[in-house]
Amino acid sequence: MSRRNPMRDEIAIVGLGSTDFSRDSGGTSAAGLAAEACINAIRDSGIDKSEIDGVVGALEPGAPRANEMSTILGLKDITHHSSPMPVAVFGLVDAMTAIFSGQCDTVLLYFAFTRAPWNSRSAAKDPFRSYLGGMMGGGLKAPPMPESIDPSAAYTAWAARYIHEYDVPREDFGRVALNMRANAARNPKAAMKAPLTMEGYLQARMIRDPLCMLDMDIPVDGADAFILTTTEKAKKLTPNPVVVHAATAGMVGSNTEDQLPSLARHGQHVVVEALKDRSDVWTDDIDVFFPYDGFSIITLGWIENMGFAKPGGAGRFMQEHWDDDLGCVMIDGRVPMNPHGGSLSEGASRGTGHLREAVTQLRREAGDRQVHEASTALIGCGGFFFNSQGAVLKRL
Amino acid sequence: MSEVVDDAALVARFPWVQINHDSKHHFRGWLDKQLLINRCDDCSKFHHPPKPICPECWSSNLTPTAVSGSGTVHLAMHLHQGAPAPGVDYAKGAHPVVSVDLDDVPGVRFSSTVIDLPVEEVVIGLPVKLDWVERYGSPFPVFRKRATAGGES
Ligand SMILES: [Zn+2]
Repeated sequence: MSRRNPMRDEIAIVGLGSTDFSRDSGGTSAAGLAAEACINAIRDSGIDKSEIDGVVGALEPGAPRANEMSTILGLKDITHHSSPMPVAVFGLVDAMTAIFSGQCDTVLLYFAFTRAPWNSRSAAKDPFRSYLGGMMGGGLKAPPMPESIDPSAAYTAWAARYIHEYDVPREDFGRVALNMRANAARNPKAAMKAPLTMEGYLQARMIRDPLCMLDMDIPVDGADAFILTTTEKAKKLTPNPVVVHAATAGMVGSNTEDQLPSLARHGQHVVVEALKDRSDVWTDDIDVFFPYDGFSIITLGWIENMGFAKPGGAGRFMQEHWDDDLGCVMIDGRVPMNPHGGSLSEGASRGTGHLREAVTQLRREAGDRQVHEASTALIGCGGFFFNSQGAVLKRL
Repeated sequence: MSEVVDDAALVARFPWVQINHDSKHHFRGWLDKQLLINRCDDCSKFHHPPKPICPECWSSNLTPTAVSGSGTVHLAMHLHQGAPAPGVDYAKGAHPVVSVDLDDVPGVRFSSTVIDLPVEEVVIGLPVKLDWVERYGSPFPVFRKRATAGGES
């Protein structure tokens, strides 16, 4: 630790609320899902809704904005509200800084996800989702080109580069998918629980070669919500609050998807350096590890860039730390990786599932998948380009 | 040879991309079948996609400069599904998409597809050159395999 980090351990996450994550939420709107998660989080925190004076709602397509959410929940006067970019730690950092700087004392932080019409047949049949086409297409009069290197396509392109540079087999990517699926089976909330074998992975439908459908997160309807406040206030609610020890986002200047300098220098590297410089604990000290898995290549990147393995060595690392009985990674026989099943199998919650499970584990409320006496969690959230983020959470 | 179109006509010619004052020269180049990459008049550095200033020295003196488009594939993927486009039929076979390191523009890549080559041959390291096809009635830049010294055509 070599950098200033005045927020260290000063902000606590005292409330958790979520919906199930499903491939079809039926008649529930994104706002309805968000409301369910928010109410659950507020009730879980034990804080009265009148005490919430900050509202932070991620800018997810179709999700209610912070002002709409305040109205839906009938909140009182709000002195900080914002709609940060998606992927969980942007919202987390915004809520933390608002509290730490005195803009407000207690923040409701929420994320709601709604499948777009092209994500599934049932979503395509829902006329109330048709507006998402215009929103996500940026208002274009014609569909974008197949050659557009948008972030989702770009992860495939860089996955191809990874295979080219390190000469690794597809099985390395498959291990990421297998780990998440085995863990999801222990998570009642997860959308995908059917057992998965390496054979099944290798035979799965190719979407963008070299990535198949099991390398890509599973679109779901659902919502997650969190209540944050000062650690001082949290200690009046619980003797062992979960606090944010360090949190940061990072990117390189040249972060356009197809112009990224190389696999050796991107957002994850910036985040890892920034986080390490602000944290008292690192990979040897953690009890549970959360590498983001919106695409399997992102997970390989986090494993290597966090320092668990050399570049190109994430597959071998997972193999060496594989628990055959559990069917998943247990680093040094002790530390699981995304025990909730991650975005690949719990559902595409853009890192909020990782954050929720980290808090759940540190509260020691994870049931069958509880890590023994979990006290510290390391989260690597987002990908390579402009949404890389990280956080270290601690149980006080 | 230059096809003169006003801004409204330019936008109408490319309804599937968002064109702005920074990128309008690049897309006017497409109409002339020229690949224009912004070059800084003050520090000579290239950048892409087009920006309002040179990221290197902050100069606003930028010249969209025609480049050969020859290069080497740096990123490659084969789409088994994706956005629709004329002439792209995913049912008939995967559609290759590449990002190419441009020979005469160090540090800049340009992304498109590769035509007239079996998809399995579209791999990282492939030498390519620029060509133009028609898409939605407007020129569209693509790559095709380039013969290298001593290599086959
Ligand atoms: Zn310059």
